[in-house]
Amino acid sequence: MNIHTYEKVWIVASMVLIVGFIATITYGAVGPGIAMIDDDGGDINPDEINDDERFAEPGVEHVGGNEYEVTVVAQAWSYTPSEIEIPANSEVTFYVTSRDVTHSFSVVGTNVNTMVVPGQVSEMTAKFDEPDEYGILCNEYCGEYHHTMEGKLNVVPEDEFDLTELSVEADDEIDAGNETTITANVTNGMQEDLETTVSLEIGNQTQEEDVTVPGDGSEEVAFTVDSADLDEGDNDWTVTVDDYEESGTLSVVTPEGNESADGGDGDA
Amino acid sequence: MRISKGALLVVVAFLVPFVVEFRTALSWFGIKLSILESLALGGVLVIGLLLWAVWPEDGNGGTGAAGSS
Amino acid sequence: MRNAYLDQFPDEARVIKAAFWSSFIALAIGGVLGLVQALHRTDVFRFIQSPDYYTVLTAHGVLLVIVFTIFFLVGTFTWAVTTSLDRGVVDTRFTWAWYIMMVIGAALAGITIFSGFLESAPSILGSELNADVLFTFYAPLEAHPFFYIGLVVFVVGSWLAGVDWFRTWLAWRRENPDERIPLPTFMVLTTTLFWYICTLGVSLSILVFLLPWSLGITESVNPLLTRTMFWYFGHAVVYFWLMPAYLMWYTMLPKFSGGKLFSDPLARVVFVLFLLLSTPLGIHHQYLDPGIAEGYKFIAMTNTMFLLLPSLLTAFTVVASMEHGARQRGGEGYLGWLKALPWRDPIFTGMALAGLMFAAAGFSGMINAGMNINYLVHNTWWVVGHFHLTVGTAVALTFMAASYWFIPQLTGKELWNRSVALGQVVLWFIGMTFMTNAMHRSGLFGLPRRTAEPQYQGFDFEPAVGTVGEINMQVALGAVILTLSLALFLLNMVMTSIGSNSESIPDNTYADTLSGAEDSPRILDNLKLWTAIAVVLVIIAYTLPLASIIDAGGLFGPDIEGFRLSTWVDPAVIESLSEVIR
Ligand code: HEM
Ligand SMILES: [Cu+2]
Ligand SMILES: [Cu+2]
Repeated sequence: MNIHTYEKVWIVASMVLIVGFIATITYGAVGPGIAMIDDDGGDINPDEINDDERFAEPGVEHVGGNEYEVTVVAQAWSYTPSEIEIPANSEVTFYVTSRDVTHSFSVVGTNVNTMVVPGQVSEMTAKFDEPDEYGILCNEYCGEYHHTMEGKLNVVPEDEFDLTELSVEADDEIDAGNETTITANVTNGMQEDLETTVSLEIGNQTQEEDVTVPGDGSEEVAFTVDSADLDEGDNDWTVTVDDYEESGTLSVVTPEGNESADGGDGDA
Repeated sequence: MRISKGALLVVVAFLVPFVVEFRTALSWFGIKLSILESLALGGVLVIGLLLWAVWPEDGNGGTGAAGSS
Repeated sequence: MRNAYLDQFPDEARVIKAAFWSSFIALAIGGVLGLVQALHRTDVFRFIQSPDYYTVLTAHGVLLVIVFTIFFLVGTFTWAVTTSLDRGVVDTRFTWAWYIMMVIGAALAGITIFSGFLESAPSILGSELNADVLFTFYAPLEAHPFFYIGLVVFVVGSWLAGVDWFRTWLAWRRENPDERIPLPTFMVLTTTLFWYICTLGVSLSILVFLLPWSLGITESVNPLLTRTMFWYFGHAVVYFWLMPAYLMWYTMLPKFSGGKLFSDPLARVVFVLFLLLSTPLGIHHQYLDPGIAEGYKFIAMTNTMFLLLPSLLTAFTVVASMEHGARQRGGEGYLGWLKALPWRDPIFTGMALAGLMFAAAGFSGMINAGMNINYLVHNTWWVVGHFHLTVGTAVALTFMAASYWFIPQLTGKELWNRSVALGQVVLWFIGMTFMTNAMHRSGLFGLPRRTAEPQYQGFDFEPAVGTVGEINMQVALGAVILTLSLALFLLNMVMTSIGSNSESIPDNTYADTLSGAEDSPRILDNLKLWTAIAVVLVIIAYTLPLASIIDAGGLFGPDIEGFRLSTWVDPAVIESLSEVIR
């Protein structure tokens, strides 16, 4: 075959270019950092998402150190959870699956971008160094309101982030003269122990208790409240742990047929 | 004419992607041309080009090397 | 004596003309819908409901990249085979048969899509007639059975067209046992062969999985499997659209520049490479899909990069041939020869501009092909910008420019207005510049494609450069210019067709070569060998991924039913629901 010299030069140059591209991409792919979507996420039956260990309660979980797992369920036309909060300086692995049709889970302006195919779990890991706010959107057509499918990813400063949850159990009413307990339950989603203070404000009194909530565990704190310290009628209370608060009202009532109770005399 | 009318039209057309892409490229260096400025730049280039094209060539003012189709 | 195509092959001319008009109609409707989309998305002018946007987009995609391109292709290929073999097809009745089959298929799919606009679409075969599934029809989005049937009928029609070309070639071979296959026919045959290989995937996907499922015969599909089978076809089809454009660049553009094709052997090598590599790289459209191991994506990436080679070779040959032409016309100097090209000729200028836009598309394409950079741009408007340069310009503009040559050849009438034609191709070039530049830029900050209202409640896009508003205006401006260009094209076609007969139509010939077929080894013409290698490459690239997908999800998937989204829930309910969510 008779090939012109210029053609030969061109062919060689083209091959060099092509091999160069492949080399760069290979370096970028197996080299530092960037993880790609593959079959690591495994498969799942969309009908069984609610019973799935991972997806039954989608949301953020702490794995240890600066590693987190975020599970998300996509369905026409929303994500659960729709807003995600993670700390800066973290390494986050996302697990995303779909209940119905194919969607995407795309964090706008980043490399976190995956198809979400029903029957499959997309797994991808990314690092978030700086606090920022990102939009999440679906960029795969998923039906007539596809354009309304969005979410948010907030990367907050490390010291503002925790996975603490507070729930409080308390009676609504107490008979004058009696005592009651207000129980605060503090859950710690982080793997490390959480040292903090739980405080209760009621009437004009404050009670505080230091607790250590074990990693991935919870702790109960019971405050005893004596009606004698309270006013007759409604008393507002607030339980506080770090930035979390829960409040309610406790009413002190005088039991019927016991008008002249000795309440008020029994100061401790 | 230094080039054929057809070639002139094509060169003018080429200015459009040139200005559009030039504007994009400049903005990566922090130089932001407004739309009006870009239009002005395009206008200047077109006028310059037209002047160049119709300016008689030195010597015998022929049609140069241009083909005539 | 006039010796136009019409004079040589009057019967074939009639079929080809019909095929071209079918493609122009698809282009006209599809193009106008493109304008509707551009204005709607950018919020410049909205007159449809956003849910209907997806009906529009399905029609735009199917009409332009399936109907317009393939009808034009079958016309061009029939012209190329008969012209270069210098004999008619074996039986024009067969030619009409496949053409009519394609029309029926296209019409069936088209009617099903457009019925999506109806307030209450008719119910046929137990389900409502619509197909708001876009041209990729990813399950579990489900279309009416007619949509799938239409597509299959259309594709089978194109298979028969291939049979027609092969038959004609074999008949010629009997009369000319020792001759080399003429270059245009060689291009047609290699392209047809990879078309057979790649369409097998999508046809099986439809016939075995999607159609029975849409008819209610099977209950469930495996979405990843049908998706992978779609892309098995989906990349090769882009080369299928491109090959008639390449054929024109190789066999006609050198002639229009006033010269000869630089090298026939290299042109054959290029087409052999396309036959070998077009299919085993479809997974590069699935870089972001779960359930496919990284290794398979890697193989697809490598094949994709090697497929750059034939396009780089084409760039060389085309430019070299143009330079040769220009020098024949008296051009001189390093770049001075450019001035000597026939820029006044809309056919030449249209094709040259199309080729240039294709080079630009090559750059954005390399970004897409990079497995890792792809994460940034996948399914953003970047990609839409990219393929409006490839299929929307390199292919579409070449076809329009070629029509200025073909229609006079087929009708025996002179082109109505050459200046309007020149303006038309230049306008397309300018319109695409505006539209695709803005699309590429917006992809970089994450603006999604296929989205009726990319304006979100909870966040704003942050362009590194410029503003979203400015980008929107640029897209709208580009779209308006493109639509104007399209109107001028159609006007010219109509006016030419109703014009009167002319004796001054150029002869129907194609470009000579500087280095001819005799310079190329005979093995290049061994189609059986290349087909066998192509099949082996496909088997290597696809067996394992398909096996692992089937292994994980089963042939029919884990109980995944269809979603007919447009009949699924009452839109009013959703509207109020999304109101609440906001
Ligand atoms: C008048 C000229 C045209 C205009 C104004 C136009 C406009 C558009 C716009 C705005 C979109 C984006 C829709 C979205 O992402 O939401 C689009 C998509 C598309 N266009 Fe065009 N277009 C034109 C011509 C063409 C041509 C000639 C072709 C191919 C031959 C083409 C092929 C496509 C395809 C395949 C899509 C993607 C469809 C999908 O995502 O399903 N367009 N067009
Ligand atoms: Cu979506
Ligand atoms: Cu592709």
